[in-house]
Amino acid sequence: MSKRSSRKPVGQSAGGFRQSMAWLHTWCSLWACWVLFAIFLTGTLGVFDEAITRWMKPGLAPKAELAQMDTDRVGAIRKAQEHLEQVAPRGHFWSVALPGKDDPAIRVFWEDDKEQFKQARLDPSTGKPVGKDGERETEGGHHFVHMHYEFHAGTAGIYLVGAFTMAMLVAMVSGIVIHKRIFKDFFTFRPRKAQRSWLDAHNAVAVLTLPFQLMIAYTGLVIFYIVYMPAGIHANYPSIEAFATEARSQPAHRDQTHIAAPTVRLESLVAQAEQRLGRKAGFVFVEHPGDTSASVRVFGPFDEGEGENFLLMPGGGSMTFDGTNGEILDVYMPRTQRGGGAMITQRTMSVLHTATFGGYAIKWLYFFCGLAGTAMMGSGAILFMVKRRQKALNEFGASTQRVYRWIDVLNTAAIAGLTVACVAYLWANRLVPVGIEQRAKTEIGIFFAIWALSVVHAALRPRLNAWFEQLVVAALLCVCLPLLNWATTGKQFVDYLLAEDWTRAGVEISTVVFGVLLARAAWLVRRKMSESVRRRTVYVPESRPAASAASEVGVL
Amino acid sequence: MKMTMNSSALHRLLLASRVTAAIFGGYALASGATVFLSAVLPLARAEAVLAATLASFAVYTAAIIWAFAVRSVTRVWWGLMAPAVVLGGVGLLLARGGL
Repeated sequence: MSKRSSRKPVGQSAGGFRQSMAWLHTWCSLWACWVLFAIFLTGTLGVFDEAITRWMKPGLAPKAELAQMDTDRVGAIRKAQEHLEQVAPRGHFWSVALPGKDDPAIRVFWEDDKEQFKQARLDPSTGKPVGKDGERETEGGHHFVHMHYEFHAGTAGIYLVGAFTMAMLVAMVSGIVIHKRIFKDFFTFRPRKAQRSWLDAHNAVAVLTLPFQLMIAYTGLVIFYIVYMPAGIHANYPSIEAFATEARSQPAHRDQTHIAAPTVRLESLVAQAEQRLGRKAGFVFVEHPGDTSASVRVFGPFDEGEGENFLLMPGGGSMTFDGTNGEILDVYMPRTQRGGGAMITQRTMSVLHTATFGGYAIKWLYFFCGLAGTAMMGSGAILFMVKRRQKALNEFGASTQRVYRWIDVLNTAAIAGLTVACVAYLWANRLVPVGIEQRAKTEIGIFFAIWALSVVHAALRPRLNAWFEQLVVAALLCVCLPLLNWATTGKQFVDYLLAEDWTRAGVEISTVVFGVLLARAAWLVRRKMSESVRRRTVYVPESRPAASAASEVGVL
Repeated sequence: MKMTMNSSALHRLLLASRVTAAIFGGYALASGATVFLSAVLPLARAEAVLAATLASFAVYTAAIIWAFAVRSVTRVWWGLMAPAVVLGGVGLLLARGGL
């Protein structure tokens, strides 16, 4: 690859296509890597959202016990309806999650007259809202899932994640183009050679898990196809709802009439649906309650038994009723598929993304592939600066030193800082007092505050000190998690293991393992610090001869 | 790799233009292709729309890659916008209902 191309505009170099792609890969990846690292790390943790939620709700009975518990669901839906008729007699929607393996309480959700989303948990025996005392109100592992696809920022966040996912696809395709020796790099790792090692690590994790990374990026976009690419729909349909109705062969959406009509008693509909679908009802959705356009949809649980998570034909079925007279509008049997090949493809891709098939084996596979993707982002980000510390490339003219410094700061905060924030979220769960208002939001607020602090810290401290200190904090928080748990709830992973509570034990043991790895990383940084005391790290100006590795590598 | 931002303002302007073309022109082309394929794929309407939409992200990726592989920035703009308008226009003419 040509060395003397720095004065030529993009794409006008002798290197041609591969050279352009090298440029694209470097810069597209650099500007996208911090956000992508966050999307990947939180998505990877989100694979085990349910397990993390269980750890964060230490009072919740074991899954098996909850699954066997036979609550009076007809009574529960009656109590839910009574509550909803009081708080929101007419509104956009009501929904009710019946007691089940995730929560022994009745959960109700609705929109108030100001179109604000509201929710409450009701005691299944009394129908009264469950007091906040004794209940560790938390968003649990869902926090990581929300971070992963929307950064807790609603539609704006979904667009943001979509844009960065496109950047990832571009980075991957350009990365493949510049990669000459895909097969050989499977087996190449040159440790302790600074830039070479980072490049080898970056290549190894990317190449080994390439199909997964391409799949996960593409299917992620496909989940939100209506948001990201609505052009075809708008060109052919008057509305998104009209398209959805036809594509999914479901009853047409009924527009609100604003004419009052009492909503049918839900208990008879739930009983009917349970009989017809042949399984317990899990979720009830009422659109436009109190309106003549009201409709009720009763859903079977998504995964009632073990081994029922399938890649093809997921879903627990549903039954739709007219909300004013209880007339049956539609029956969607469990484990059947509606729509044609394209619809089935879309649904299968969604399931493929969310790892809701194949049980724990698939979840662990996704977890490790997700970690590899995270490592790909992180090693790429670090590699960019490792290379420039060997030889500054003055891409930013007079501001180069300042921009490099900011890239270093963001690298530290995006990688080490986010790691601290993730484990601090678990600590917040045990330390924020139980029963306070907005408790779940407080936990999430702490997560963001710690992450923001890590940027400030990285900006104030020398580069290696910042890395070392943040890694040490992350390692300590991870390793000490069982101590915290023991001090606050009186239990830790040994108790969980003895009680055969594998999910909670798994969360805690995995966190400790991460802590050990982070401690090892901190130790490596420490060693580097003592080395660089001897030769102070400065960004070497371009006039100095290039480090030989830089020219050999040519790209990146 | 070493051809990055250099000091000339013209270069920076051209680069900004190319990036804008890749992001927005690429999206326009992907949208145009989706509208066109939605109309012409020999499938039921909803299926054709969905199949075209699922493929659009590959079109978008390819468009962005192409925008950085072509020498002239003018050609990038033309190469993305002309097919976007033609495909989108023909697709809208052939569309089966809608706006």
